[in-house]
Amino acid sequence: MDPLIIIRLSEVIDMKKKYIPYTMIAPYFILYIAFGLFPIIFSLAISFTQWDGIGTATFIGLKNYIRTFTQDKFFYQSLGNTTLLLLVNTPIQISVGLLMATLLKDFFKKTRGAFQLINFLPYITTPVAIGIIFQLMFDWKSGVVNGLLNLLGIDSVYWLGNAWASRGVVVIMEIWKGFGYMMIMFLSGLSTIPDELYESSRIDGAKWRHSFAHITIPLLRPIFTFVIVTSVINGFKLFDEPQLLFSSTSQPIGGPDRAVMTVVMRFYETAFNGFEFGYGSALAYCLFIIIAIVSFFLFKFINRESDMA
Amino acid sequence: MEIKLIKRLPVYLVVLIFSVAALLPFYMMIIMGTYYSEELYSGVKLLPGGYFLTNLHTVLKQNFFVFYKNSIIVSVCNTLGGVFISALTGYAFAKYQFKGKKPLFAFIVATLAIPQQLGLIGFVVEMRALGWINTLLPLIFSGMASAFGVFWMTQYISSSVPNEIIESGRIDGCNDFVIFFRLVLPIIRSALITIFLLLFLWSWNSYMTPLVTISNEKYYTIPLSIALISSEYRTDYAARILSLALSTIPIIGMFCIGSKHLIQGLISGSVKG
Repeated sequence: MDPLIIIRLSEVIDMKKKYIPYTMIAPYFILYIAFGLFPIIFSLAISFTQWDGIGTATFIGLKNYIRTFTQDKFFYQSLGNTTLLLLVNTPIQISVGLLMATLLKDFFKKTRGAFQLINFLPYITTPVAIGIIFQLMFDWKSGVVNGLLNLLGIDSVYWLGNAWASRGVVVIMEIWKGFGYMMIMFLSGLSTIPDELYESSRIDGAKWRHSFAHITIPLLRPIFTFVIVTSVINGFKLFDEPQLLFSSTSQPIGGPDRAVMTVVMRFYETAFNGFEFGYGSALAYCLFIIIAIVSFFLFKFINRESDMA
Repeated sequence: MEIKLIKRLPVYLVVLIFSVAALLPFYMMIIMGTYYSEELYSGVKLLPGGYFLTNLHTVLKQNFFVFYKNSIIVSVCNTLGGVFISALTGYAFAKYQFKGKKPLFAFIVATLAIPQQLGLIGFVVEMRALGWINTLLPLIFSGMASAFGVFWMTQYISSSVPNEIIESGRIDGCNDFVIFFRLVLPIIRSALITIFLLLFLWSWNSYMTPLVTISNEKYYTIPLSIALISSEYRTDYAARILSLALSTIPIIGMFCIGSKHLIQGLISGSVKG
């Protein structure tokens, strides 16, 4: 055969080869563009309009964004609530998770798997169901919590009818849901710390709490970074559980005085109860911008801390 | 030995208290589902009652099986599609060199940080235009292209599938897709299970997407039925609680069996992410 033809043939095969990885990644990108990216860009366009979702949309420029930051007191209230819940939940979840992880690792060698599973169950339970279970448990008349309080001689508390008590219930609910996840993360971090470190410090006469403070905590830093950043991001997205907590009481969205109205609840109410598609899209973008800014500074702060250490 | 036990008592107590607290809501849910509704108002019940079968009958009379069926169709289709796409895309990123590979992968990683709500309004408008409102299709296709799945599979395949196996397949004259199906998929079976469990969990628990795309009761999924139906049947309190218990059981059972894979997945997501 003419050598030129052979070269041509191998070129054709090469051309065919080059297409292969693209055909492999094509389904992902087609689906992502169709149902992920397109809606996101479309929402951005909608956020510059005034639109009820049915009639014609009117272009109003940045007015929705200006309204979010200057006129919407519910936006600020929901942002305040979300931040408050986040600031209370995250440290408690992390402390309980870390405590359980260290105790399980050091004292429950044989039964660890079972305890791990039990404490992890709340994390995988349908959030909607969690909201309703807690609604039942904290019910004023028939709830188990007031029942136990009465047994101890304490008067019933109107948990879901009072602003601060409702916040308390949401905090308890979120801690209940999340500490098992933290525990799993810390257990994985603990398993990477070599036993020799603990042994040598024991030989030096260190107590359990000393090695906890000087070995465990510093070496778990990467896990701390990960769980703090993810809890902040997920904390800003809180919706299902608090929404369902008040589903059958005659409360406004977000409970008494909107005390536990989160940013996503405000977004949902605006877009799908009030049918303000334009303003709702702007709220979603504001939430995204806030998450982006907060995680940026969080990363910077944590990195600076670790440089100093 | 006894001294050791006494010294450790606080430790055991702490672990026990938190474990009981973790299980208490599940226990209460199951117990409350076995009473007659009126009885629930007359004080706290800690032991099972005798109305389980009556309540079960009430639950089954409603469309409970329809919701179950919808949830299973959505979760199975969404998850199988998601696992397959994640594995194929991850394989391409892990084992091929091609133009634009780096920026495309960076793009996927960047989208991990985007909250689902960002495009929700656009998604609803798009679904209306497609005529997919009040069908299961939006639920099946949303999230099927999972950035997390691709990211995770890429990491896993590049570290655990040896190049020699792919080469040997090439020498035997297999084409690239045959290599992927016959040689690569069996090796990464455990990773496939992990991603399956995670995607299934997210799909089964999903509430926001069905809430804004489905209003016809025929197409309700389990979370939607719990949220919307239960408040209408408020009168039969106990039956409502029992349906809640029944809807959480399959996912709990599934994860008791597959918990090792699931936990492994969550952990490696944190170590590498």
